[in-house]
Amino acid sequence: MHNPILHKLYQFRRVVVLLIICLVFAVMLPGIFLTWGNFRSVLYSVSLTGIMICGATFAVLLGGIDRTVSGNAAVSGACCCALILHFNSSDGGAVAAMAAGLGCGLLSGLFHGLVLSKFDIPAFLLTLATNQVLYGIVQYITGNQLINVMNCRLFTAIGSGRLLGIPIPVYILAACFVFSYILMNHTVYGRWLYSVGGNREASKLSGIPVKKVICTAYMISGFMGALSGIVLSSMNQQASSLQANGYENDVLAAIVVGGVSLRGGSGTLQGAMFGALLIGIISNGLRLLGVDAIYHDLVKGIIIIAAIAFDMYSSYKMSGLKRDGFFKRMKKRRQAAAA
Amino acid sequence: MSDLLFEMKNIEKIFSHVHALDHVNFDIRKGEVHSLLGENGAGKSTLIKILTGVYPKDGGEILLEGNPIEINTREDATKQGIACVFQELSLVPTLSITQNVLLGKEKNTLGVIHYGKEKKEIARLIKRYDFPLEADAIVETLSVAQKQMVEILKALSTDAKLIIMDEPTASLSKKESEMLFQIIGQLKERGVSIVYISHRLEEVFNLADRITILRDGKNAGVVEKKDIIPGEVVRMMIGKRLSEATASRELAMSEEETVLEVKGLTRLGYYEDVNFVVKKGEVLVLTGLVGAGRTEVIRSIFGADPYDKGEILFEGKSMKAGIKGTIRAGFGLIPEDRRTQGFAPLLSVTRNVAVTNYDRLAKSGFVKKASEDKLGEETVKLVDLRPANPKVQVGNLSGGNQQKAVLGKWLTRDLKVILIDEPTVGIDIGAKDEIYEFIEELAKKGVAVLLISSDIAEVLRVAHRIIVMRDGHVVKEFDDGSVTQEDILLASSGFGMTGKEGQNDA
Amino acid sequence: MRQETLRRMISFVLLVILLIVFGTTSSSFFTVNNIMTLLREASVVGMLAVGVTMCIITGGNDLSCGALLGLVSMVVAHLYHYTALPLMAILLIALAVALLGGMLNGICVAVLQIPDFVATLSTKMIFTGLILVFAIRNSAGLITTETINNPSISALGGAFPGGLYYSVAAFFLLAILAQFYLKRTKSGTYLYAMGSNRKSAEYSGISFVKVKMTAFMISAFCAYIGALFLLGRNRAAETATGMGFEFQAISATVIGGCAFAGGRGDMIGTVIGVLFMQVLKNGIMKYNFSTQTQAVVSGVVIVVMLVFDAFYNDYMQKKTTRAAAIAREKKAVAE
Repeated sequence: MHNPILHKLYQFRRVVVLLIICLVFAVMLPGIFLTWGNFRSVLYSVSLTGIMICGATFAVLLGGIDRTVSGNAAVSGACCCALILHFNSSDGGAVAAMAAGLGCGLLSGLFHGLVLSKFDIPAFLLTLATNQVLYGIVQYITGNQLINVMNCRLFTAIGSGRLLGIPIPVYILAACFVFSYILMNHTVYGRWLYSVGGNREASKLSGIPVKKVICTAYMISGFMGALSGIVLSSMNQQASSLQANGYENDVLAAIVVGGVSLRGGSGTLQGAMFGALLIGIISNGLRLLGVDAIYHDLVKGIIIIAAIAFDMYSSYKMSGLKRDGFFKRMKKRRQAAAA
Repeated sequence: MSDLLFEMKNIEKIFSHVHALDHVNFDIRKGEVHSLLGENGAGKSTLIKILTGVYPKDGGEILLEGNPIEINTREDATKQGIACVFQELSLVPTLSITQNVLLGKEKNTLGVIHYGKEKKEIARLIKRYDFPLEADAIVETLSVAQKQMVEILKALSTDAKLIIMDEPTASLSKKESEMLFQIIGQLKERGVSIVYISHRLEEVFNLADRITILRDGKNAGVVEKKDIIPGEVVRMMIGKRLSEATASRELAMSEEETVLEVKGLTRLGYYEDVNFVVKKGEVLVLTGLVGAGRTEVIRSIFGADPYDKGEILFEGKSMKAGIKGTIRAGFGLIPEDRRTQGFAPLLSVTRNVAVTNYDRLAKSGFVKKASEDKLGEETVKLVDLRPANPKVQVGNLSGGNQQKAVLGKWLTRDLKVILIDEPTVGIDIGAKDEIYEFIEELAKKGVAVLLISSDIAEVLRVAHRIIVMRDGHVVKEFDDGSVTQEDILLASSGFGMTGKEGQNDA
Repeated sequence: MRQETLRRMISFVLLVILLIVFGTTSSSFFTVNNIMTLLREASVVGMLAVGVTMCIITGGNDLSCGALLGLVSMVVAHLYHYTALPLMAILLIALAVALLGGMLNGICVAVLQIPDFVATLSTKMIFTGLILVFAIRNSAGLITTETINNPSISALGGAFPGGLYYSVAAFFLLAILAQFYLKRTKSGTYLYAMGSNRKSAEYSGISFVKVKMTAFMISAFCAYIGALFLLGRNRAAETATGMGFEFQAISATVIGGCAFAGGRGDMIGTVIGVLFMQVLKNGIMKYNFSTQTQAVVSGVVIVVMLVFDAFYNDYMQKKTTRAAAIAREKKAVAE
C-alpha cells in the first residue's frame, strides 16, 4: 500500500479501534464514561485477567497455550485462604499462606512444562484436562464450601486497599507487567523464548536449552495465575470452588485480540495487555449502557472472531495484493498451510 | 517408431529468463525402463514436472502414441495414464491400503462405498503383481518399501501406462531395493513403461533399457542398454565442464595440527565405522548421495544426535556430548534445511544471528541492546546482506540472503570448527560464489571446515580433501593428487575403483 | 497392532475392570434399574460425543457442541412458550438454528482459518450468550424455567416396555449410523484422509472446506438430537443446560482412542469411552465420593491417554524408518 496515511493507520490499527470505541461510548454516555472513577474501575476489573496475561503470553509465544491459568488461580486462592484460617489470620501466617499459594502455581507450571517439552501433545488439550483436575483439587480443599477470610488485614488490603487513590491490584498488575515485559524484551531468556516459539529445531541447533525455556515459560504462567488467584480471593475476601472459572477464555480472547500469533514466535505483551483493556472497556461501556451482563460472553465471542477476521482482512488490504479477492486469498492461505 | 508410448519433442521451459529446458527431446517406449540421468539442476525434475502437469511448458509438444495431447494439470496427466511415485510418500497413514489406493475415486452408490468389491479388486491387483501386502492392512504399519508398493498400486489402479519413479531407493535398504527391482521387472513384462530417476548409477546401469542424459537443460545423449559404457555416460553427464577450471582439483594433506578427529564412529542404521581427521585451516568435504549418512555424522559430531560407538576427539581430547558444550568449544553448524532448522522466519536478522552469541551480548542474563544491535550491523556488513537492514525479518529475505544470515550466526564467534551441510541448495549463482568465499576465508583464518555437499562442481571448488560416503560407509578418500568430477561421481554412485567399495553391505 | 485396536482394548479392559469392581462391591450396581438409568445418563453426552468424534477425526475439535445443545433446547422452549407455532415447525426452526451454528463453526475454521479450538471456543461463547437472549423471563424480567407440557416432547423421555429408554436406543442408533458413515461411505473416508494427511487428501481432490463443514454440521445435528431427548427428559430448558457437556464428550472420545492429531478413532471407541465415563461417575456416586473425584479421575485418565498417544506415535515413527529396516536386516543376518 502506498498511501502513507493509510499505512500509519494500519500500523496503529488497534489504537485506532480502541479510540473509536472510546469515542462511541463517550458520546453515548456523556459525563459517565470519561471519568477518573470509571477509568479506575476499568483498570480494577482488568487487573485480574491482566496478571494472568502477563504469564499466559509466555506460553502462547512458545506456540502453546495455557488454559490452566484459572485452575491455578482457584487452587492458589483456596490454598491461601485455607492456610490463613489455619494460621488464625495473622499477618505472618498470611505471608506464608500466599507463598504456599504461589508455590502451587509454580508446581503446576512445572508439571505442564515437563510434559509439554518431553511429549508432542497439543497444549490446549492437556491444559484443558489438567484445568479440570485443578478444579477438582480446589473442591477437595474447600469441601465445596466458601472459605471466608474476614479478619486478616494484610490479606484484605491486597484486594481492596488503595494507594494514592489507585487500587492495589492495579499496582500488582503494573509490577507483573514490568517484570514480564523486561523478561521478554531485555533478557536472554526473552530472546530464547521468541526463538523457540519461532523455530524450535533451529533454536536447539543454536544451543538454546529448549526444554528449560519451555518449563520456565509454563512456570511463569503458573505463578502469575496463582498470583491473580490470591488477588481475586482477597478482593472477595473468600475462596470458592469455582473461583476464576472462565477467566481462561478472557485471557485467550485478550491475547488473540492483541495480535499474538497462536503459532508462536510473534506478538507482544503490550499487545495482549491492550487486548485485555479493549475487552475491559467494551464490557464496561456495555454495562454502563445498561446492557445485561449476560450478553458479555456473546460480545466477547464475536470480538475474537471479528478481531481475527479484521487482522486477516487488513493485512490483506495492506499487502497490496489487490487482484485476488478475499476468498481467493483465503484459499491460497489454506493451500500454503497444507503444503 | 510404432512402439513409442510418449514422446516429448522440443520441450522448452524458461524460469525468469533462464532456459531450464532448451529444446529437450525425450521419448518412452512401451514396456521399457527408461532412465533419466543428469546432475542436480540439469533439468530432470523440470522435465518430469511438465510431463505430470505440475508446470506448464513454454514450448514443444507431447505426443501419446503419435497423437498430440495437452497436459495442463495433474488430472490430465492421470487421464493420459501417467502416474508418479513420490519421493515423499503421499499416502494417508491411518487408512487401509484399499482406501488409499482408491482415495478420491471410490466405487459407490449414493456415497456408500462398495466395500467388498473394492477390497476384492485390490486383493486381485496385489496378487497379480505378487506384492507382500494385505488389502486391508493399515498403511502406517507398513515399512517404507511397502508404502512405496502401495504408491505403485495406486498408479496401477488408474491403469497407468507410465510410472515415474524419482529416487525410489533413496530411503530403502539393500534388500528392499532388490524387491523393488523385481517389481519393476514384472511391471515391464506387463507392458508398463517406467521412467527411473536415480543418482545411483549402478542401479541405473543394471535396470535401464535406455538412458537419456540431460546436461544444463539440454539433451546430452541417449544410450541403449547394450551400448552402456559407464565412463562414457558419466562423461556425458559432466560434459563440457571438463574444460572449465572446476573440472579437477589438486588436493593436498595439510601439515597443520589436527583439530577434529573421528574414530570408528557408528550409529546403527545410519552410518558405520566412520574415520577421518580435519586439520586446522582445512576444508574437508564429505560427499556422496542423499541418504548416504553424511548429515547424520555431522549431527552426531555437533551433539544434536547420539551415536552408538566410536570416539570424537577435539584437539586431542574426547568431546562431551551436548550441543551447548560443542558450541562453547568453538563449533558451529549450518544445518541442512535452513527453513526448518536454520532460522526463525518471523524474527529479525539481528535476533536470529544474536541467538548464538548471548554469552557475549549479555550481562547477568540481561541483553546489552547496544551490543546486540552492533552485532546485527556488523554481521550484515560482514556477510554483505541485501537489503543491508538488520531489522528485516529473515523470512522475507531471498534464499541466498537467508543462508547468509544463518552463516552470520557463527561468523562473529571465535570458531574452531564449522560443520556445513549443503549450504547452496536453492540459492542463485551469485550468492553461491559469495558463500564459497566465506568458506575459503574461514579456512584461511584457521577454522577447520567440514562441508557436506552433493554438488560436484561445488566440491571441486572448495575442497582441500574429499571423503566419499555411500550407504553409511566411507567408501573413498581423496587425500592428495588431482581429482576429477568423474572420480567423485563414480565413487559416490557405486562405481568406486578401490577395494574398499566391497565392504558396504548396509 | 493398529493403534486404535490397542487403545480400544486398553479402554475396554479399563471399562471391564470398573464394571467388575463396582459390580462385586455394590449390590445395587447390576440391577436393571441402575443399568438403565446409567445408560440414560450416558445417552445425551454420548450423542454429542458422536459429533465431536467426527470433528476430531478431521484433526479439529468442537468445544461449542454443549452450548449449541443448550441453545437448541432453549430455542424450542422459547418458541413453545412465546409462540403458538405447531411443534413440528418449532422443531424445524430449532434444526435450522443447529445447522446454522454448525455452519458458523465451519466458516470460522475452514474459511477464516481460525484454529479449531479458538474458533469453537468463540462460537461457544456466542451460543452461551444466545441462550440467555432466548431465555424465558417472568413479568419482572427475571429468567425463569417453564415446563413444556407437550405430550410429544414428553414422549421422547419415555422408555420401551423392557425399561430401555428411547434416548438410549437413539444414542446407539446414532452411533451405528455414524460408524457406518465413517467406515463405509465416501464422505466418511474423506474425514479420515483429511485428518491424517491433508496434503495427500487435497491432492486426491478432496476439499478441505467441504470436509470441515461436513464434520461441524454433523456435530451440530448430533447436538440437535441430544437437545430433543434432553428436553424429553427434563421437559424444560435451563440456562445451564449443556454446560460442560462438551468436556465430557471430548473426554469420552479421548478415552475411546481418538487422536487429536486427527485421522484416528471410531464409534466403537467412543461408545466405550462414553460408557467408561458414565460407569465411573455412577460408581463414584454409589460410594458417596464427591463429584470432584470424577472430574479429577477423568482429567488424569485423559492426560495419561495423551501421553500414551504421543509415546506410541514416536515409537511407530522410529519403527518404520530406513534405519530401523537396516537394523532389522543386520540382526537377521547376525542370527
